[in-house]
Amino acid sequence: MSDHPETTFRAGDALVARVAAETAAAVPGVVALRTDLAGTLLGLAGQVLGTRRAPVVAARVDGGQAEVSLSVVTRLGFNCRDLVVAVQREVADAVRAYTGLDTLVRVTVVDVLIDRPASTSTDADVSAR
Amino acid sequence: MALTPDTGTPDTGTPDTGTPDTRTPYTRTPGAVEAHVPVEPLACGRDAAEVWDHTEAGTLDEHERDCPHCGAAAADARGLEAMVGRLAQEPLVPPATVVDRVVGAVLAELRPRDLIPLDSPHGPAALDAAAAAAVLRGVVDAMAGMRARSCRIARPSSSDGRPGPAEVAMTVTARFGVDLSSTTARVRQMVLAAGEQALGVPVARVDIEVVDVFLDEPGPAR
Repeated sequence: MSDHPETTFRAGDALVARVAAETAAAVPGVVALRTDLAGTLLGLAGQVLGTRRAPVVAARVDGGQAEVSLSVVTRLGFNCRDLVVAVQREVADAVRAYTGLDTLVRVTVVDVLIDRPASTSTDADVSAR
Repeated sequence: MALTPDTGTPDTGTPDTGTPDTRTPYTRTPGAVEAHVPVEPLACGRDAAEVWDHTEAGTLDEHERDCPHCGAAAADARGLEAMVGRLAQEPLVPPATVVDRVVGAVLAELRPRDLIPLDSPHGPAALDAAAAAAVLRGVVDAMAGMRARSCRIARPSSSDGRPGPAEVAMTVTARFGVDLSSTTARVRQMVLAAGEQALGVPVARVDIEVVDVFLDEPGPAR
């Protein structure tokens, strides 16, 4: 009998969701993570009650694999395709490093923020008349 | 449940003469399974968490009633209990925007969402079609002499089942007098470039319909 019994652990859905959320939010170009209706309502309830906000990422652990779904908001100037590739790579690496789980990361860019100029007076270069 | 207050009291090395404490200084009562972190005992040798528990239960022993260190810990426990009690009595006042935000979340959930697949070697990825259209409209709006009215973008599957290049259909208005042929050609080039550079979506087709003209508005008085 060994003096050091084997220690095992199982990563839960919420753990994977939080790791994914923290990692995704740190990817350059990710302005915000957006959740679904249930997550929004839970977040609002958490704000009112002063508790921690619900995770904004849906995650499911099944055996040795995890599946994560993220909805991200970015800003004009970041290539959406490159952004989702970076988010998928970073999140999968982070979850694997922290939990050992192979992770499928679904990413949807749900909004692109556009900083509109305050004035449109630059139309003077049109030789229209 | 025993909370662990930070005593901050220096250890004088002279335990009080109260009830003998046979425990080691950095361990909790046997059976207290929730304790994982070694806790500095009070200067008198008592465990502050136990004093807190006894205070809440009203079971302070003779030493804990007379000892100044235990008395301070008990006072902290009573103060915290009173503060928590007051907060618990206060009515919940949700922020004024909570209804608007809930309604917005519900409407956003109910709105049908068209997604454009994005090419990624790491798994499924997509872009909201409305967001993509807003980007392309913004590109057109930034051009001189053109305004976007509407924009639809779709990415039909190719013959092998993979997403093919995108197709864009736009309606625009033009400033009265501009050369429509050259301006729409510029619109097309800008949409092609924005599709690749901003969205990461190759665009194969751009249909542009000029639906109206607009006149320059008079500028602000100087």
